[in-house]
Amino acid sequence: MDVSLLHPKSGDFAAITGFTLADANQNVTSTSNGLASEPVHGTTVIAVKFKDGVLTVGDRRATGGNAIMYDKAEKVLALDDTMLMAISGAFSKAIEFVRFLRHSFKYYERSQLQPLSLDGKLNEIGRLMAGNLAGAMSGGLVVPVIAVYDHKQAAGRIFFYDAAGARFENLEYAAAGSGSVQIRGAFEYIVRTKGNFSEMTLESALAEALHLLEIAADLDSATGGAGKVLPLARTVTAAGVTEISDDAIRAALGASTTTATSI
Amino acid sequence: MSYNFYDFQNAIQQRNDYVEDQLRDGSPVIGISCPDGIVLFTLRGSQRKLFEVYDRIAYGAMGRQSDVESIRIASIDTAHREGFQRSEDDVCLSRLVGFGISPAVKQVYNDQRAVPLTIRALYAELHDNGSDDVFCTLNYDGEYRISKGSAVITGVRSADDSAKELLKDACPSSRDEAIKVAAKVWAHAYTAMRHARKPGGDVDENGVRLTPDAAFKGALDKGLMLEAAFLTRSTSRTSRFECCTPEVVSAAVAGLDFG
Repeated sequence: MDVSLLHPKSGDFAAITGFTLADANQNVTSTSNGLASEPVHGTTVIAVKFKDGVLTVGDRRATGGNAIMYDKAEKVLALDDTMLMAISGAFSKAIEFVRFLRHSFKYYERSQLQPLSLDGKLNEIGRLMAGNLAGAMSGGLVVPVIAVYDHKQAAGRIFFYDAAGARFENLEYAAAGSGSVQIRGAFEYIVRTKGNFSEMTLESALAEALHLLEIAADLDSATGGAGKVLPLARTVTAAGVTEISDDAIRAALGASTTTATSI
Repeated sequence: MSYNFYDFQNAIQQRNDYVEDQLRDGSPVIGISCPDGIVLFTLRGSQRKLFEVYDRIAYGAMGRQSDVESIRIASIDTAHREGFQRSEDDVCLSRLVGFGISPAVKQVYNDQRAVPLTIRALYAELHDNGSDDVFCTLNYDGEYRISKGSAVITGVRSADDSAKELLKDACPSSRDEAIKVAAKVWAHAYTAMRHARKPGGDVDENGVRLTPDAAFKGALDKGLMLEAAFLTRSTSRTSRFECCTPEVVSAAVAGLDFG
């Protein structure tokens, strides 16, 4: 019988759950199978604007050291109806972030009877990143890309964070993960030769993003290609978060392959 | 000074009388399942009375607003703590009320030095099939009852009985139908509460007995506002709870025959 239940709280989700970021060492996968002695990570996630919002795609591979640990990792996750988080870095820590943020946003809205503002949500993510700095230094680094539909601006927006929690807004695209370095120049090439992503249709943006992901998979061993398991693609628009169907992804992959062949 | 059995009974009775007296003038809350989801319905003053607690759990209450709020926050805290520390799937109404809220309310009720909570609450839990939907009513003394299909809380027992009788065979086919049924039940329950205030019932200067239709219109004329919330069974949004707009509720109850 906990009568303290009846004392109203402040809307602070971390306070009611006693949430603290787990010790960084918890990210280290077991070495007993002889496969991995490092945190499970390795990724390419991409967010590009399109004319109705933001498209986010991610490969499905999770690696630990040189070992491929998992081929169905879900790295593009909805935090709520207006925000997607594409995760790269230590998988366990990233999933912990996502669970905390989802609950925290819902808790705030339900207890305070109004949704947390976009700035409030972005600050909360920054606080988590800053709180994880020690973990990041010892192998638990998480680098999220945040895709948002901002109803006030009636536009999609993309944000990313550094390891210390500083927030940056990107104009057209963002990518994170081990394969993102290899494709960085390709984004600029697309923008300069085909125009801004934010003016593209979803079909065009999807084809370009999947094309970039395939290049990353070719050049980075920690990024999975579409051959075994299809990438995950989700959009965030005024209507909310939508998952792109496998058929649409196959069609877009076909289109990007055709384009590549014709070149 | 000794404290005998009769003192104990008197103390309990006085607490009951105090709270029942406060609840007598409240506005009933009705919860009812339909194929699309669950509707909660009431008429309210200035403050909201129907709220989301968790992914599939909604809450409505009558009583003192500060107590309504403290039970609401306690429910939200408990559900979210459980959902985060274990899983969303582990949050269920029977555990939330039975093991979390009810014992805490009971403890306040038992504390002779504390003012008892002035509240009667109704919880609804949505499932994939309407026949599995769960309702729970919680009383100010910590007692709770689980039911299926529908539930109602009112200010007096006679109003409870007449409302339950109306809800017994109700099976609305849609959200708007459920609002109609709930509005009718509200009108009958409210009428029964008004009649229960006076020995001869509520009659006007011409000796005409108050009808559900007149009670409903009178409540609106007094400034009470329609309020309905809906837990939807199918949505692509992260939340299944939505507050029905005043237009939707007004349209549903327009021209309704209260019987």
